[in-house]
Amino acid sequence: MLDILIYGAVISAVYALLAVGFTLIFGVARILNLAHGAFYALGAYCVYTLTANFHVPLVVATVIAVLLVALFGIVMERVLVRPLRKLPPLAVLMMTLAVGLMVEQILLLIFGSEARNVPSLIESSFNFGGVLLSGQRLLAFFCSVAILGGLWLFMQHTRLGAAILAVSQDPEGARYMGIPSDRIFSIVMGLSAAIAAAAGVLVAPFQSVIPGMGLLPLVKAFAIVIVGGLGSIPGSIVGALLLGYTETIVAFKASIEWSQIVSVAAVLIVLIVRPAGFFGKRAAF
Amino acid sequence: MLKRITPVIAGSALIAAALTVPARAEDKPILLGINTALQLQVGRDTLDGVRMAVEEINAKGGVLGRKLEVVTADEGESPKEGVAAVNKLTGDNNVNVLIGGYDSGVTLAELPHISRAQTIFLGTGSASPSIQQKVKDDYANYKYLFRVNPINSAKQAASLMDFIKGKLKGDLGYSKISILGENAKWVQDMVPYLKKNATEAGLEVPFAEFFDPQTADFSPIFAKVKDSGSQYLLIILSHAASDVFVKQWYDAKVPVPIGGIDVKSQDADFFKRVGGKAVSEVTTNFVLRKPITEKSIPWWDAFIKKYNRAPVYSAAGAYDAVYVYADAVTRAKTIDTDAVIKELEKTDYVSPRGRVKFDALHEVQDGPGNVNVIYVQWQADGERAVVWPKEVASGKMIDPPWMMKN
Amino acid sequence: MPAWGSLTKTDVIGAIVVIALLSVVPFVGSRYIVGIMTIALCYAIWATSWDFMSGLTGRENFGHALFIGTGAYTAGFLNVSFGLSPWWGFPAAAIVAVLFSLVIGIPTLRLRGPYFALAMLSGAVVMQKLSIIFSDTTGGQDGLNGLSPMLRSQVSAYYFTLAALIATVIVLKFIALSPWGTILRAIRGDEATCQAAGINVNFYKISALMISAAFAGFGGALYANYQLQVGPDLFDVALSINIIIMVYVGGMGSIYGAVGGALLLIGLTEGLRSFSEYRLWVYTLILILILFFIPNGVIAPAWVRVRDWIRGRSAIFTRRASA
Repeated sequence: MLDILIYGAVISAVYALLAVGFTLIFGVARILNLAHGAFYALGAYCVYTLTANFHVPLVVATVIAVLLVALFGIVMERVLVRPLRKLPPLAVLMMTLAVGLMVEQILLLIFGSEARNVPSLIESSFNFGGVLLSGQRLLAFFCSVAILGGLWLFMQHTRLGAAILAVSQDPEGARYMGIPSDRIFSIVMGLSAAIAAAAGVLVAPFQSVIPGMGLLPLVKAFAIVIVGGLGSIPGSIVGALLLGYTETIVAFKASIEWSQIVSVAAVLIVLIVRPAGFFGKRAAF
Repeated sequence: MLKRITPVIAGSALIAAALTVPARAEDKPILLGINTALQLQVGRDTLDGVRMAVEEINAKGGVLGRKLEVVTADEGESPKEGVAAVNKLTGDNNVNVLIGGYDSGVTLAELPHISRAQTIFLGTGSASPSIQQKVKDDYANYKYLFRVNPINSAKQAASLMDFIKGKLKGDLGYSKISILGENAKWVQDMVPYLKKNATEAGLEVPFAEFFDPQTADFSPIFAKVKDSGSQYLLIILSHAASDVFVKQWYDAKVPVPIGGIDVKSQDADFFKRVGGKAVSEVTTNFVLRKPITEKSIPWWDAFIKKYNRAPVYSAAGAYDAVYVYADAVTRAKTIDTDAVIKELEKTDYVSPRGRVKFDALHEVQDGPGNVNVIYVQWQADGERAVVWPKEVASGKMIDPPWMMKN
Repeated sequence: MPAWGSLTKTDVIGAIVVIALLSVVPFVGSRYIVGIMTIALCYAIWATSWDFMSGLTGRENFGHALFIGTGAYTAGFLNVSFGLSPWWGFPAAAIVAVLFSLVIGIPTLRLRGPYFALAMLSGAVVMQKLSIIFSDTTGGQDGLNGLSPMLRSQVSAYYFTLAALIATVIVLKFIALSPWGTILRAIRGDEATCQAAGINVNFYKISALMISAAFAGFGGALYANYQLQVGPDLFDVALSINIIIMVYVGGMGSIYGAVGGALLLIGLTEGLRSFSEYRLWVYTLILILILFFIPNGVIAPAWVRVRDWIRGRSAIFTRRASA
């Protein structure tokens, strides 16, 4: 019982990070960013390159990686996404999808298909009443919670946060009030990319760092966000907990093979029962 | 003046052209079509193994006076691309022989197309027995298929049973082992066989499960294996993320040693790739820098010298495939497919991996002196020791560092 | 231009030209080229069936592979496990695919937009994972192998597939032009009003999905008979996404777009083989350029312009105003 509780929490925390970034950019800019998995992968690969090739200390490499990916996100938004905003939303979706595919191909060409090794920040392992947990996972959990907490504080208590909320509720109205919507879109894209990169960096030591590593997290983030309700951050967290714990419980009680099917089926059931997700109000397109 | 010279020049040109002997058929190169997953390490090594053999053979004058030439096509890991690759090589490039293969599912999909193209296929990577079974079921249409590498998965299973009974039960006295495999078809066929035979041999198998290669988190599995009281975890991984598995196992200090078939762990730089966390993992292998035959060490060193990295199993198999084909063509004195097949069936060739001979199903034979599975364990310093079979063992099997009794 | 909403004489002539060109392929191309084109035609059928549903009703289906895989496996089972003649596979594939469309379509009637997309995607993923777990029946990752082909020669298989594509296009276009199609377009425009007008909206929505599924499953059976192998990759997310990309690049809401996009992108993936390991990178780059500079699609808008030009020119001769 304890093992399910602890492992489920760790998995859900990382899922929550991924989902929140995804729902943030949707909530504010109505963009379903299918390159979100690419940000996650780029974060991991940046840390790898910095530590393995440039021998930068791990903590510094983490910060640099997150900033680089945030920059990439901003550039992508500015150069490839913004010009397409006047077109139907499917155009932007397709473009982000293509960018994600491109990033994967470039990573494949540069780094090859074999997994890369990113060192852990914490090498020791812990034993909680019989439950074996590696230090890095514990770190990933606490960092995820901290980032989410920080994000909430930022949104609630800063001017920029308030501006972002305003734009997400009413872009036109916000513009009338003098809030530069376009710049907010870029900032939020950077923020979303940074959070995804942070997730990639945190899990890189114990997950596969391969060029295709972003695909499954993207699909999961997409599922969580939709189940939680598009554009709702509390919804994403609830969705992450649902998915994370469903997977963990089934993996323990039945088999790890079935955990994937059951969690996908759970998503389907939620959608059938609540067509707009837990907390969602509107459809995207 | 020009009016008179022109016909002479033209006439001379025509005569010269007629006299220029068109290239003799015998001077055309022999085309080797390589269909493999080019983006993977296994695929690259297949190609490099082939290239090395081709260079050596061409340096000695080629085969029947003709040079060997290599054409490639990426089969990816999808049956659709595999079929397209095979069709391109046989239909477009008109290769004389196909060498390659990696994923059994892709190879199985390619078989009818290879048969239709009536081209010899020397397999260097796929392990499913269903492939060579076709030679028995429908010789006329599928006599083109040969497997040079690896030992098929059914024989690998028998070898694993030998390891379980001889090493785990016999030497180490274990009585409870668990089995974990990825959900590839050949593994799904192997695991029930292993569980049944292990139980009959007197071992308890509390846990035998499969997982999706996309699984990112093995914590539930480790927890269940630990709680079951197992003394060893037998793993069968090929496409799956071995690095992640091994790293997670090490980080959580799971008190259960692991070993079995781990294709990725056959790479010479796997140990480094996982930051040393593969120590004490055992994996099967087919070739190592150990004197299995007199060609083993020279070949290994030559490969490293040429390509600056150590080879994986597919390189050895691909290298052997080229030589086996070249030998058969030389003996047959022609590249006519049916004649070459007859000679291939009589193959008896000493390779870096062992003696290569084919059985009635065109499978490479195992057994003493032939190509065999060896069990290799990563030691604390990144070196590898052969721990099984006893005849070729070079070191003692060690425990994971956190379980060592000192 | 209403989706799938028009058919002019020029359209028909253009289609005949395309069919003629496609018919010539086996004479000018090697066995390899014929094989590629056969697959491209299957993709064209899948793309057309996708666009029929999503273009007309406006509900983007991110799990089209569910119907493809279902149809293919049905054909495969009948062929390999039951030893029936491959010809039975075609109607069976369509029927089973339609059944699956009911199973997933009815509970998800209320869903729209990304919610619908995700629900369909989930359906395909579940089937994919199930086909791997129950490997004793389905052959797991390796799938079903050794299907007996329905036609001995590869060339006749090509023509059969071409005929199937032509039939698909004619049937779907016919439905789209009929009152049925008009109602579907109306529902996409304003569902509430249609409901208020007394139209049984649910019936039309589910019927569009069923028709789309039938042709997708049929295409799956065709693919199985060419490939002679069926595997879980036919349920894959990547397949669904690729089809959407093809339709999008070709131009949504038009048959030329769906068919043209499929042929174009398959031709591109194979044609770029000379780039060896850079192949997919170049392909993605071209994709991004197309999406950026030609976001309305490459084939369909171009054809509309060509067609109008032709009609404009021919009006000079016949003195008929272009409609």
